Amino acid sequence: MGIAKFVLKRVLLGVLTLVVVSIVVFALTQALGDPVEAILGREAQPASVAAMREELGLNRPVITQYSDWLSGLVTGDPGISYTNGVPVLEVLGDRIWNSLFLMLVSALVSIPISIAIGTLTAARRDTAFDSTSSATSLVLASMPEFVTGLLLIVLLATNVWQVFPAVVRIRPGEAPWVDVGALVLPVLTLTLGVVPYVSRVMRASMIEVLESDYIEMARLKGLPERTVVWRHALPNAIGPTLQVIAINIAYLAGGVIVVENIFNYPGIGLALRDAVTDVNVPVVQFIAMLIAAIYVVVNLLADVGTILVTPRLRTRLQ
Amino acid sequence: MDNDRRRELWLPHAMSRRRLLAGTGAAVLFAACGGDDDSASPSTQGGGQPTGGSTGTAGGPATTSGGPATTSGGPATTSGGPATTSGGTPTSGGTLRVGLVGSTNDLIDGQYIVAKADQARLVSGWDPVVNYDTDFNISYEHSLAEEIETVAADNYVIRFKEGLEFHNGKPVTADDIIYSFRRRIDPKLNLAPGLAELLGPDGMTAIDDRTIEFQLLKPAVTFINGLAEYTTTIVPVDYARFDGDVSNQIGTGPFMLESFTPGTESVHVKNPNYWGSGLPLLDEVQIIDFADAQALTNALASGEVDAAVDIPFAQVSTLESDSNLRILESQAGNWLVITMAIDQAPFDDVRVRQAMRLIANREEMVERVLAGHGRVANDMYGVLDPCYPKDIPQREQDIEQAMALLADAGQEGLTIDLFAPDDTAGLAELIAVFADQAQAAGVTVKAQVLDGGTYWGDEYTKRTFATSFWSTRPYLIQVAAGSLKNATYPETHWPSPDSDFAETYDQAIAETDDSARCEIIAEMQQEEYDNGGNLIPFFYNLVDGHAANVKGFEARPNLLNLDHYGRGWKNIWFED
Repeated sequence: MGIAKFVLKRVLLGVLTLVVVSIVVFALTQALGDPVEAILGREAQPASVAAMREELGLNRPVITQYSDWLSGLVTGDPGISYTNGVPVLEVLGDRIWNSLFLMLVSALVSIPISIAIGTLTAARRDTAFDSTSSATSLVLASMPEFVTGLLLIVLLATNVWQVFPAVVRIRPGEAPWVDVGALVLPVLTLTLGVVPYVSRVMRASMIEVLESDYIEMARLKGLPERTVVWRHALPNAIGPTLQVIAINIAYLAGGVIVVENIFNYPGIGLALRDAVTDVNVPVVQFIAMLIAAIYVVVNLLADVGTILVTPRLRTRLQ
Repeated sequence: MDNDRRRELWLPHAMSRRRLLAGTGAAVLFAACGGDDDSASPSTQGGGQPTGGSTGTAGGPATTSGGPATTSGGPATTSGGPATTSGGTPTSGGTLRVGLVGSTNDLIDGQYIVAKADQARLVSGWDPVVNYDTDFNISYEHSLAEEIETVAADNYVIRFKEGLEFHNGKPVTADDIIYSFRRRIDPKLNLAPGLAELLGPDGMTAIDDRTIEFQLLKPAVTFINGLAEYTTTIVPVDYARFDGDVSNQIGTGPFMLESFTPGTESVHVKNPNYWGSGLPLLDEVQIIDFADAQALTNALASGEVDAAVDIPFAQVSTLESDSNLRILESQAGNWLVITMAIDQAPFDDVRVRQAMRLIANREEMVERVLAGHGRVANDMYGVLDPCYPKDIPQREQDIEQAMALLADAGQEGLTIDLFAPDDTAGLAELIAVFADQAQAAGVTVKAQVLDGGTYWGDEYTKRTFATSFWSTRPYLIQVAAGSLKNATYPETHWPSPDSDFAETYDQAIAETDDSARCEIIAEMQQEEYDNGGNLIPFFYNLVDGHAANVKGFEARPNLLNLDHYGRGWKNIWFED
């Protein structure tokens, strides 16, 4: 079977995954509480409760509510925010782009660093550099974002040095890159969450490649070690690492929620917190689906990427 | 659900900024009182307080048991650093960035608030009819009225200042004033149900363009307290709540709304037509929303905001050590309370109620629940009311007497459940401390913490032994809210059927002579002190922070944060 067919199969599987996720999300958000109670309060008159239920369409059968919601999602109309009657997409608006931007920058910073660290530690296996970076990454890997984030704030924003802002302020209508300095700490926090994992896997993969026969051959030919590592070994070591990179990028989609709350970064993470507190079901549902979609898409890209960079797999498909 | 309770009251943010928020202070009185406000402000579910690792103790009576001991009581103090009072010559210009905990549900309405964020924005754009001075007597400073004449307990004449203008230069007329009051009492908007009980839409007559006569539906001197709320403001005819268009947001206040994105920020620019001469001093004020108090505190510490509303008590000492910052700590009349239902066993016996009150070690409660940021209370509320009785002895812990009373009542070795919600900072800690203290008297208190939704649900006000929180209010207003059979929230089921407390209350609100009314209030306070069901351990302070170069905030007894938001920021300036 060809690559196109493989991709198509993967896309269909991804869509199926999202449908299953949508059922779970829909079911779980029903458990958030009664939005009408949340909006009207305990003393609400039965008449206004009934009217509100009607207005929000909560009197429809659950199956109808679900299918209406799903078809709305597909057609780009994920509903109306309960708290102010504004369309969900308008409520979230720039916040979606702000969050995606934060994810993208974090990925662009953390992935190359991880690959470099993984490669270097593999090439200098068992040196002081290797053991130091192993120890450091173990420590970092064991710290959740809200700990690293707060430590970075104490260290670089408030108590020790006041180098970077402790919060990110993106003014309405402004792009998130207007104040680059403010982005340093959130990006650093996310980077410290990703680098340990990816670099460990990269190191293991690299070590395996460096011990293979063709690398031995390259060395025997007299190629400088640098060329051996970066030109011959690296491309072959990245393939197996791609999956882990994908998982970590997808993980960033969740990580931004925590990081946005620490740094008051105006993205979907802050919006999600408000929405959960207010039982604003359509907003919660949309953000959950958005994050799920990012997972699916990133994993799909990784699958395809792995095939493309791994000759063994590539040829098997042809 | 818990909405109304929360909306009605007011607690420091942490607790549940959505809900409690409605109006602090005396101000609350009419603004609050239950009811929904056209659904612009769904309050949240239980447990909706900012959660998550970093935000547990955000604001409010946060607990820091083991925190550094701070002195409690005494007059309002500026803790840390030199006094925050304005010194030097005020200069004009500059942009003040104020941070507070807010959300996408923030609203702007010249006569209504739900959250603290809404308070700050309202005070920027709209002046109240009258005000309180630092002794909580009625004051005409910072106010639109020039004089209130009490003709009778149900008849008042209010004369407004001359030459008042709205932001757009339009003069304030009698039509605007009457419209403003009609809007306040409009049952559809439900902005001030308490005021609506006293005043009908036809109760106002214009005597001239700045003098209005008010004929009330019944005698009630508390009408004047209603005028002194910060939400009793003057808006132009046809004014309506912000719905996306800033050009409608017209008031008389020092700053005009330039832009507003709920949950993000609002920008307010200087009102060139402001009636206060030479004011305001600043060019612009930005009110910036934060999702939680921790991020807000960090923003203050790293200089991203110039002033911050509500510093979590646990963080105060850290911020105090920063020479670039000032902590602004003001005494307020907010209180937490342990409530005993006086018609339910074992508290239907006054001796058991007294025993509980004697078990409490209030100093320890101030330390352990408030980290010292409050002062000991004496089972009476309305502490800022000028009529608060000063000569009733402070109740102290007395375990022996408590045990004797319990023995008399046949309740030695009492075991009882005490309930608290998990969404109101301080209450869970309060019952834990009380349970500790009760052991000494052989009383087993089982501390039961419920999620907020359950706690403020159907069982609220029905439990025998529970907890609650209240904001600063004048005494009589608080009685109507919590200490009458038909009170909004009759938590202790006070008064007992054989008491004439309710009649005394009616007498008090019809008494136009201040000192005569104070005497009646003293009697009522004494009765609650002797027989009531409230165990009031303390009043907690308002604790805010600002940069050292921001001048004009003063630490003084206050209803609202940041020195009443600098009375709409008009007195605030930057030192070069």
